[in-house]
Amino acid sequence: MSYAYLFKYIIIGDTGVGKSCLLLQFTDKRFQPVHDLTIGVEFGARMITIDNKPIKLQIWDTAGQESFRSITRSYYRGAAGALLVYDITRRETFNHLASWLEDARQHANANMTIMLIGNKCDLAHRRAVSTEEGEQFAKEHGLIFMEASAKTAQNVEEAFIKTAGTIYKKIQDGVFDVSNESYGIKVGYGGIPGPSGGRDGPSAAGGSCCS
Amino acid sequence: MKMDLMSGYKGVVGLVFGNENSSNEDRYVERLLDRINNGKLPDDRRNAITELQAVVSENKAFQLAFGAMGLPIMLGVLKEERHDVEMVRGALETLVSALTPINHAKVSGNEVQPDLMNTDLLSREEESIPLLLSLLEEDDFYVRYYTLQILTALLTNSRQRLQETILTIPRGITRLMDMLMDREVIRNEALLLLTHLTREAEEIQKIIVFEGAYDKIFSIIREEGNSDGGVVVQDCLELLNNLIRSNASNQVLLRETIGLDPLILILKLRASSYSFTQQKTINLLSALETIKLLLKGGSDADPGKDANKQKNKTALVQKKVLDILLILGVESQWVPVAVRCAALKCIGDLIVGDSKNLDLLASKVLGEEPQVEPALNSILRIILRSSSMQEFIAADYVFKNFCEKNADGQAMLASTLIPQPYSVNHSFHEEDVNMSFGSMLLHGLTLGENNGDLETCSRAASVLSHILKDNLPCKERVLRIEIEAPMQSLGAPEPLMHRMVKYLALASSMKSKDGKSNNTSGNSYVQAVILKLLVTWLADCHNAVHCFLDARPHLTYLLELVSNSSETVCIRGFAAVVLGECVIYNNSPDSGKDAFAIVDLISQKIGLSLYFLKFEEMHKSFVFANAESSLTHRSFSRSSAASMADIQDVDENDLSEKKNADHPILASILDSYFVSFVKRLEANIREQIVEVYSRPKTKVAVVPSEIEQKSGESDGEYIKRLKAFVENQHSEIQDLVLRNGTLAEDLAKTGSSFQSEQRVSGGVDRVQTETLRRDFQEASKRLETLKEEKAKIESEANMYQNLAGKMEADLLSLSDAYNSLEQSNLQLENEVKALRGGGLSTLPDVEAIKAEAREEAMKESEVELNDLLVCLGQEQSKVDKLSARLLELGEDVDQLLEGIGDEAGPAEGFEDEDDDE
Repeated sequence: MSYAYLFKYIIIGDTGVGKSCLLLQFTDKRFQPVHDLTIGVEFGARMITIDNKPIKLQIWDTAGQESFRSITRSYYRGAAGALLVYDITRRETFNHLASWLEDARQHANANMTIMLIGNKCDLAHRRAVSTEEGEQFAKEHGLIFMEASAKTAQNVEEAFIKTAGTIYKKIQDGVFDVSNESYGIKVGYGGIPGPSGGRDGPSAAGGSCCS
Repeated sequence: MKMDLMSGYKGVVGLVFGNENSSNEDRYVERLLDRINNGKLPDDRRNAITELQAVVSENKAFQLAFGAMGLPIMLGVLKEERHDVEMVRGALETLVSALTPINHAKVSGNEVQPDLMNTDLLSREEESIPLLLSLLEEDDFYVRYYTLQILTALLTNSRQRLQETILTIPRGITRLMDMLMDREVIRNEALLLLTHLTREAEEIQKIIVFEGAYDKIFSIIREEGNSDGGVVVQDCLELLNNLIRSNASNQVLLRETIGLDPLILILKLRASSYSFTQQKTINLLSALETIKLLLKGGSDADPGKDANKQKNKTALVQKKVLDILLILGVESQWVPVAVRCAALKCIGDLIVGDSKNLDLLASKVLGEEPQVEPALNSILRIILRSSSMQEFIAADYVFKNFCEKNADGQAMLASTLIPQPYSVNHSFHEEDVNMSFGSMLLHGLTLGENNGDLETCSRAASVLSHILKDNLPCKERVLRIEIEAPMQSLGAPEPLMHRMVKYLALASSMKSKDGKSNNTSGNSYVQAVILKLLVTWLADCHNAVHCFLDARPHLTYLLELVSNSSETVCIRGFAAVVLGECVIYNNSPDSGKDAFAIVDLISQKIGLSLYFLKFEEMHKSFVFANAESSLTHRSFSRSSAASMADIQDVDENDLSEKKNADHPILASILDSYFVSFVKRLEANIREQIVEVYSRPKTKVAVVPSEIEQKSGESDGEYIKRLKAFVENQHSEIQDLVLRNGTLAEDLAKTGSSFQSEQRVSGGVDRVQTETLRRDFQEASKRLETLKEEKAKIESEANMYQNLAGKMEADLLSLSDAYNSLEQSNLQLENEVKALRGGGLSTLPDVEAIKAEAREEAMKESEVELNDLLVCLGQEQSKVDKLSARLLELGEDVDQLLEGIGDEAGPAEGFEDEDDDE
């Protein structure tokens, strides 16, 4: 139960792109071909390790449907990371990315780390958005990018962990005031104490991470 | 000064004239509002608002008047005059007063409640909620404080509307959550507000948890001293319960992030805490409610409900919750009974259907060496000895759940049921921890012998029925138990079952002795519980039926019980079920008590239709109808924490609600499992009885060959044989005629009794009509709201349509404008093109100018020519005059003019020519 840090994530993107399946694959390591529409917001959690530190991820999986937007927006501000998901076999889900991004920029805190995920990359024969386009979009908007498949689990683990790594690095770089929980980051018992407590262990580890 | 006069005036006038002077209040409020709205002097406006607040807070009529006129003005102040803290405070305080109920001694049903009306009005003001939420960011303490109070009032009365609105406001909930970090007074207000806000609103619950509610709740609880804390702890737990009630997602989050340690900590009693304040009792009850909610899992609609529930259970057990519950529910007798009951109920929920937890409970021992005993024994002792009916029910619930689908557990308990010699049985000490479970139970079962303590006996019977339920080996085993008669001389030992029937009879006889005036229900539950034991016991068990029928009076008594009109429908129904079991589970070879004989008895003594009618009556009875409805959630109201009323309520509530003759305890004894069990039995019984009755055993076998005269048989013998045959047949026909007669009678009786029955069951019907009517009302109310919603949506659609129309029109005009712009642009472009094309098009102009110029020049020269001609003419006439004069003077004119002609030849020539012409 003890963790060094707790990060809050949200998963956003059009309906049917596989947000819930990504979460299920990450938390339960299983794939559910038929998934009910998410109503409102669902929750999942998992422990990961970064730089030998236990990090707890709390992930809120939001409903993609327009009618839930006002509810899901409430989750933006308190999140440290966001997975923005589109479906590589459905062009329109890629086309909507800009509006999702705008929503996120408007409601989230400015330091939120956003990971762009092109899901369903196992369906290569039905691909409608090329990897290069995804990369291009991510580059233009300063996002991290990965193609993944909730079905085969390809890159799922990596996506969540890479996002966490980026947040972790931001903490090391002092981007966040970690005592303020509204950034979606919480320092745990095993973590680096507040600014006052500069004990040897954590700071040394921090140094080694950045190098 | 003026205010005092006014309110004094109102006080008197209001008392005397009531509402007739309402226009006075209207005018007064209107004047104040006018001053606030249009006043020029800031001080005057502030005074007006203070005055307004004062009158609104005291008097309903002013509240009403203010609500009708003042809301927009107050909102205006809040919106436009943020800089003026005093005005904003005043406006907020006035709003608080307008929304707070003014306590008059009595509120008659039809009277308008201005506070409710005002909340409704304010919540309908579109801008009010965002405005109020924005005020929470103000620095002034009172502004935030009053704002929270207003929001709470709005939530109390128009919850759904508020919940929907707040969800649509960006960061609305976040702002409310921030209030939990504010100073204490604000924090406590915010707790109340959030508790209202989270009621039955899953999405809001999730957002609040996302915002870190668990951390905050538990840190407040810790700060306040856990269960020893004040009402704030109660508020925190209430909020916590709202967050996890039927919300699997939030339960997972609690489990996964905060963990259950802080919750367990609340339930841990400090070693020295023997005294319980009322607040502590309520705090503990609230925390037990949390446990209960976790054990109940998410909503029924959730497909992963069971998995989540199981995880909750596992997590709780890991935290040793069972030990803590046993301390609260069983070991600590100084703990208030309400807490003990709640803890026992939680134990029941924890073990049901979970083999590990069942074993865990079975293995628990309580007390300290050497005084240790199994926890189950302690719980049985509570059942047998508690003076609280509720505590019995709660402890009984533990056994019910312990025995549910737990054949091993049942066998374990049954194995200890070993009868002791009478002397031993009645000499031991009840506190003896060395007493086995079985001895204790048997002792309870037979306690009725000495002092007529049938209540203890029936409680033990209830436990026994759990042990026997669906478990044939246990039924058989307990059948073999024989109880010694109180005094050896009074006869041989009798089976335990017979003893139970005896107590059943004893209970009904005691009741009839008591008379109808009081205590009629006192023993009816005793009867019901014993009958339930018999119903459970006889089911599927031929030997039990056999044992029951062994004593002839049993059947007679049962038949009597079924038709005894002084018993409740429930008792009669149960008795009918037992009777039916004697038919369907009867494999007796003895013709005196086989199924046929019993069916015949039923038909003769009761009549089949009437017999079946008992079942129907039973189903219609209050207890049965209620057994299937689930219990609704009831929370402890905050105000009642001060009085003990609510805790008493836990005990008394059920007792007072019942209007039926049946004992309240029946509702808890007759769980839905038993009810559906009885229903299944009943269908079976009907079928079987009709089957048995329609095929009576024939005494005379008719074999065609036997009617023929046998060879070697003399005529006399043949005749004799035939006569005997005919006699037999005659007697059988007599039998059948008799049976037919009974049936006809039965039919006639039923026909007439149906009518009277109808009248009797009028009460039941009325109850049903009542529920139907309520259902109908509810449905029509729902319809109404749906209609409203539809209208709203329609109007919205209209609005959007209009908007769309307008947009279209706008677009049209825009496109027109564009077109014209384009046209002019085209023109300009052409011109530019033309210009670029050079003189080509300017040439005609130049030509025209040239022509013009030439024309002008010509015109000019013509004029000049004319002038010249005139001059010439004048000169000519001068010349003529001079020539004539010269001629007169004799001069040779021609000679004179010759010289001139040389000088200006052409002109002369020209002139000459002219002249010549």
